[in-house]
Amino acid sequence: MPAIRPASKRKPPPDGFEDIEEDLLIFGNKMKDAQNAPADNMPKHQAQWPIFQIAHQRSRYVYELYYEKEAISKPLYEWLLKNGYADAMLIAKWKKQGYEKLCCLRCIQTKETNFNSTCLCRVPRAQLKEDQDVQCVSCGCRGCASTD
Amino acid sequence: MVKSTYQPSTSALPPLAPGWTEHKAPTGHTYYYNAETKESTYKRPGAAPVVVNPAMSSYVQHQTVPQINLSDPTVANAFMAQYGQPPPQHHGQRGGGSGAGGGRGGFQARPRPQPADKPRSKVAIPGCEPWVLVYTKYGRRFAFNPAKNASYWRIPEKLMPAILELDTARIREKAEGKTAEQPQEQKDAERSAIPAAQAQQEQPAHDYDSSEYEEVEVTDDEGAGDDGHDHDQDGNARKRQRTDEPAGDDGPAEFTEADIAAQLAAMGADYYGDVEMGEDDPGAEGAWEEGDEGLPLSDEDARELFKDLLNDFHINPYSPWEKLIEEGKVFDDARYSVLPTTRARKEVWEEWSRAKIQELRERRAKEEKKDPRIPYLAFLQEKATPKLYWPEFRRKYKRDDPMKDPKLPDKDRERWYREHINRLKLPQTTLKSDLKKLLESAPLSALNSQTMVSDLPPQVLADIRYISLDPKVRDPFVEAYIQGLGPPPEGGQAAEQEDEAAKKARDERRKREKALEERERAVAEEKRRQEKRVQYERARLLDEEREIERAMHVGKRGLQSQLLG
Repeated sequence: MPAIRPASKRKPPPDGFEDIEEDLLIFGNKMKDAQNAPADNMPKHQAQWPIFQIAHQRSRYVYELYYEKEAISKPLYEWLLKNGYADAMLIAKWKKQGYEKLCCLRCIQTKETNFNSTCLCRVPRAQLKEDQDVQCVSCGCRGCASTD
Repeated sequence: MVKSTYQPSTSALPPLAPGWTEHKAPTGHTYYYNAETKESTYKRPGAAPVVVNPAMSSYVQHQTVPQINLSDPTVANAFMAQYGQPPPQHHGQRGGGSGAGGGRGGFQARPRPQPADKPRSKVAIPGCEPWVLVYTKYGRRFAFNPAKNASYWRIPEKLMPAILELDTARIREKAEGKTAEQPQEQKDAERSAIPAAQAQQEQPAHDYDSSEYEEVEVTDDEGAGDDGHDHDQDGNARKRQRTDEPAGDDGPAEFTEADIAAQLAAMGADYYGDVEMGEDDPGAEGAWEEGDEGLPLSDEDARELFKDLLNDFHINPYSPWEKLIEEGKVFDDARYSVLPTTRARKEVWEEWSRAKIQELRERRAKEEKKDPRIPYLAFLQEKATPKLYWPEFRRKYKRDDPMKDPKLPDKDRERWYREHINRLKLPQTTLKSDLKKLLESAPLSALNSQTMVSDLPPQVLADIRYISLDPKVRDPFVEAYIQGLGPPPEGGQAAEQEDEAAKKARDERRKREKALEERERAVAEEKRRQEKRVQYERARLLDEEREIERAMHVGKRGLQSQLLG
């Protein structure tokens, strides 16, 4: 593994990074907190929920800045993806019809489920029973169908 | 319109246990003290029902149910004189005879502070000549006969029709006088006058035996027109209540509350009609916002107001919406609620942030790139000394911002540092001539007689030659050089145009804020009305409850006592 260079020697991030640096830092801190939070008193499958959620939020933030608000430049966007500020695979799904609100990649991974189906959170609310409160096992999503 | 706010003090509190006395704490709480056990409590020591001396109770009953027709004023006065101090709880006693027993004696003995009320104005009653209707400071009124020098809180029945007529006339007059008033309101006032009059007529039936009783009549029509007066009345009602409160020996809290409510209700009775429209959910702000009939704010204005809010709070347009919500500092602002739903807010926020980012980008593109060299060179001038080598200097100041700036490669920093240190060793004259050369190289549009020394063009500031001289020497030199330059070339039109645009924007903003203020006022008024209505309803409910309770109390005398009232 190559050595991580000191900040003074690193190439500076592309223009416009200062504008979003603060918010990204907040996301980063939240992520660190979530990673360090003790997972003793919760079911095992719930331990990773906050991490998935924060990753989703951060990716969504970058995605909206680039594709919807057009607030950041392409070089900066690519730099952010490269530096792990957003999940490129997830964003790639968001661009597809029917996946605009996808919560996480695990929820559409059909091969990992017993009946080769997607996660329950992908089911539109209209097709669920009345007042059925769902929260998916992989990321705690309460429903991410595009029609919701 | 006549309406009595007198609440028959059924005060269904059980009597205190023997040995207990009731006191008022400085905080206003009522507490109970037992002198024998030296015990005190806030909870009313409701004793086992005291067995009352039958003789005494029968006496009381006899005393409180006189069979006199009191509608005749002379008889009434004579009666008042005879039954000077009837026990205060006449209803309760009539009901079960549950004893105005030993524990209560002390309170009866205590002198009753009278509220300082004063007559304020009088009106002659047409038709019944010597009689005058006198209004007091607290909005009560009584009938006064100057010929016989007799006055009655309770208006004698023979005067009743005349007074009612007087009131209706006054209401009408007031309603007609106000052009802004809708005729509907007058109708309302009249409509509410009728039940109130009935109430007045019912009132004497069960109140005549109490000397402490003061029939408080609140004239509704005073509140009909102007709000200011209404407030005044409101305040008066409160004030009077407070002065009355210590008088009520152990008046339960609900009684006083109901009294206030009744006062408010009387005043709010005319609002009634127009409030009834938005009856579906009381007090809910959402209802007001959704059914915004008569709101002075258009949708456009609301959106603009919300954007103003975002601008005012210096929201970072790059930040996510969740951050704005989490911080929650915008919630307190009134402009936050001009948009009815969070979804609408988010939409506006999105629009705003997009526009704002665009604007920021344009501004940034317009203003020349701030050269990262400038702060670094200024820093060098301040800190660099020939005593330090570059590595030492870097280590010493590595925490400082100019040394951390990622825009500037470390190599360049080092080069400039060395260069600067070398130049410091040169003679002053060389440095001066170098600086002169530098200044001459700047074009006239950037550097002219209008330029301030503190505001030199970046091309000058970002040059190593500029920092070589000590500021004390350099600044006068530069100033002298600038004095000798010509005026700037023409081209100041653009700035004025921009000013005009800014002014326009400011004006529009002021307009919007005004509209918001008006809306706020309307909302506040609506809220107040609703509150009043709620209180009125509560008071009515209490009244009815009390009536039912009274009806349930059938004593030994059975139906007879009921019929007597």
